[in-house]
Amino acid sequence: MTATLASVPTGTWTIGAPRLLAGLDRYAAIDHAAHLALHGPLPYPDRLRLTALLEDIALTGRGGAGFPFAAKLRAMPQGHGVVIVNGSESEPASFKDRTLLRRAPHLVLDGALAVAAAIGARQVTVAVHDQSAAVAVHRAIGERRDCGLVRVEQVHGTFVGGEARALWRGLHGGAAVPPGRRVHLTQHDTLLSNVETFAHIAVALRLGPRRFRESGTHAEPGTTLLTVGGAVERPGVVEVPLGTPLGIVLSAAGAAPPQAVVIGGYHGTWQRLRPDLQLSHATGLGAGVISVLDSSTCALGELARVAAWLAAQSTRRCGPCRFGLPALARDVAGIAAGNDEAAAFHHAQLVNGRGACHHPDGAVRFVMSGLHVLREETVRHRTAGGCGRPVRGQLAVPV
Amino acid sequence: MSRLEIDWTRCDGHGLCAELLPRQIARDEWGFPILARTVDDTRAARRAVALCPALALRLRPA
Repeated sequence: MTATLASVPTGTWTIGAPRLLAGLDRYAAIDHAAHLALHGPLPYPDRLRLTALLEDIALTGRGGAGFPFAAKLRAMPQGHGVVIVNGSESEPASFKDRTLLRRAPHLVLDGALAVAAAIGARQVTVAVHDQSAAVAVHRAIGERRDCGLVRVEQVHGTFVGGEARALWRGLHGGAAVPPGRRVHLTQHDTLLSNVETFAHIAVALRLGPRRFRESGTHAEPGTTLLTVGGAVERPGVVEVPLGTPLGIVLSAAGAAPPQAVVIGGYHGTWQRLRPDLQLSHATGLGAGVISVLDSSTCALGELARVAAWLAAQSTRRCGPCRFGLPALARDVAGIAAGNDEAAAFHHAQLVNGRGACHHPDGAVRFVMSGLHVLREETVRHRTAGGCGRPVRGQLAVPV
Repeated sequence: MSRLEIDWTRCDGHGLCAELLPRQIARDEWGFPILARTVDDTRAARRAVALCPALALRLRPA
């Protein structure tokens, strides 16, 4: 199953000065000459300087897990490691990584090459799911002379397969499912991070720590990419300074007055709108997906649809996930049909924490936060047999 | 003290561990083990680890 959505928001816009998305208001895609004109040449710091820079700007991985990049770098051996750029972007409503790969691939390559040079890596692998992103990366590699170590691998876009350890197994000829035992990739001489993370490195190398810190917050400097969708007039990939209040992003997106907001994708959380919520990775931004549900849709029906999709994403290896997530999905559909929440709470507890990867935990977090936010809806569905609204699909589910 | 750990990718829910350690392991509605936090009888726990037909059970220092 591939994560392909019927409608793809390809627009980009920014709040504040763009860094990763610089030039995309003028160029459909930025070739190497335009890239150099926009950003200047790529500095190649040695390992110590690169580590110090990334520590100074407190850069964390932008795939959702948010691990400090400098710590990964420090754990790598010198001279024979492998750098993997994770472009599988398996979060269905996320488009930021493929947008970077399609339209600003040189920033991503720059970041990966600088890291690879600093640790003397023997290989750089760009793992891509999206076909046109793969084409764009190949084209970008052809435009420059410093990509001898770089290869592009097409990977399947399953939700769980995009998880770091699963991707790593898939690239090594195994099934793209997370291993049962704990695997630390750096122990296998592999430094893996998300596409956006490498683009930030490319920007930071040029700006230096002081200018990099002029945007964002003290704890989380710089910008972040978001994918804003659902009930908004201007869906798309958005670059904002970290710490930007959610209300500002939503009004810039032309959001309808929300019934609920889902932050962090389908392992993220449902929330009631708090316009002053400062967007930060510490508060569960995940891979940066923000989905708005307005009052025209049946929110419980939306929750049930995504719960069913999450159940279908189980790789079916771990029993509690294999049996528990479908049970939970049936419970949520039952709640939309007027049942109470008892069975869902019971099954959520049985699934949580009982698997080899974070899929069951993330799915439970999504469903439980949804049921919490939609308590009044649950009562309405139980007493009136429904809310009379259609399920509009404001939470996109792959076809 | 030790604690039991399950490799969920291996566990098939045979249920032998729950029979050998009834005070520490219950089974959910699908037959998969639900563990108590810590192990009081380490010897019995070791036996359960050794007898798990799927090699899915491990004993770890708490």
